[in-house]
Amino acid sequence: MNTLGATTIATAVGPHLFWITSRAAGIAALILSSASVCVGLSMGRRIKGLSGPDLRVTHEALSLATLAALLVHGLSLIGDAYLHPSLADVAIPFVSSYKTFWTSTGIIAFWALALLGLSYYARRRIGVQLWKKLHRFTALAWILGIVHSLGEGTDAGQSWFLAMTAIAVIPPLILLATRWAGRTAPAAPRTARTTPSR
Amino acid sequence: MQPNESEHLKDAPRAAGAIDGRALARAKREQMRRRAARIRRTVAAGGTGLFVAAFLGVYVQLASGNDPALVAAARRSSAASGLTASTSATAKKSKASTAAKSSGDATTTSSSSGSSEVSGTATSSGSSAGEASTASSAGEESSSSSTGSESSTAGSTTSNAGEETSSSSSSTESSSPSSVTTSQS
Repeated sequence: MNTLGATTIATAVGPHLFWITSRAAGIAALILSSASVCVGLSMGRRIKGLSGPDLRVTHEALSLATLAALLVHGLSLIGDAYLHPSLADVAIPFVSSYKTFWTSTGIIAFWALALLGLSYYARRRIGVQLWKKLHRFTALAWILGIVHSLGEGTDAGQSWFLAMTAIAVIPPLILLATRWAGRTAPAAPRTARTTPSR
Repeated sequence: MQPNESEHLKDAPRAAGAIDGRALARAKREQMRRRAARIRRTVAAGGTGLFVAAFLGVYVQLASGNDPALVAAARRSSAASGLTASTSATAKKSKASTAAKSSGDATTTSSSSGSSEVSGTATSSGSSAGEASTASSAGEESSSSSTGSESSTAGSTTSNAGEETSSSSSSTESSSPSSVTTSQS
């Protein structure tokens, strides 16, 4: 009976290939984006064996790989026979009727990551200071992407997925919290130290 | 010696140093470029490997029948079919009890000792009770399928078949308590 069931499902894998591709690309994007955020936040710190330029190149490569994975994740869904979404469904928020909120969260996260990430190549035109301010919002887009994966992901209830997400997400979250804590902490007084008078 | 010539000779080692510096900078730039290319290649390979691993993982999960989405869909459909089956079984049971009520002895037995006993006496008592036995076995099947486990469905089907066999073979002794116990077990 079990063998029969397995065979029945195994033969039915073919029509799900686009869906499997989308899920795999989503998982890859989640890990790559987390790694990219982690490296991006580490760039201000001194890490043994890695120089600044190395970290910058790694961060850039990871970001581009994330965007590529996200493109595969969204576009491969168009070929799925079960959902059969249009290009507008996967590209424009609040258009798809399938889990509208979670889908829109993912679409917004993708556009935010793409715009904020690719703005690096136009930073001289934008102005480096403004670009730096804008680039901080990438972390929010990344968090939005994690929310999307946990809310809509097919494997979101699986323990292996939750463990993998925790491993990928917790280190950059700690770095992000440290960065924010550092920013919000009151600055040390810059005046010269004076001896207390009695 | 002309003053210009002496100045030129003085600048010669400085120029050589400048050339060395430029070559050094060029070599360093080249080294950095190579290092960057290596990092990009590593990230691309890592990303592709990650995608392939995830693809294979999801594929195997789906092929082995453990996919969360398909399992949930199967559960939903089985629950829906179980609900339909139990509704039809209830209707059949009520039909059977109405039929059994009209047939004297069979009515007494079924109301006192349950569905398996009905199947035992039904065969001996005639055509209207035969309907009752079919209904009871169908009812058992539907109740087991509503629980969702395949093995229990198979088990109950076999036991139903067993009951039918025992009831048909012991048709003459159907009123004896021993035959009832056998069919229940």
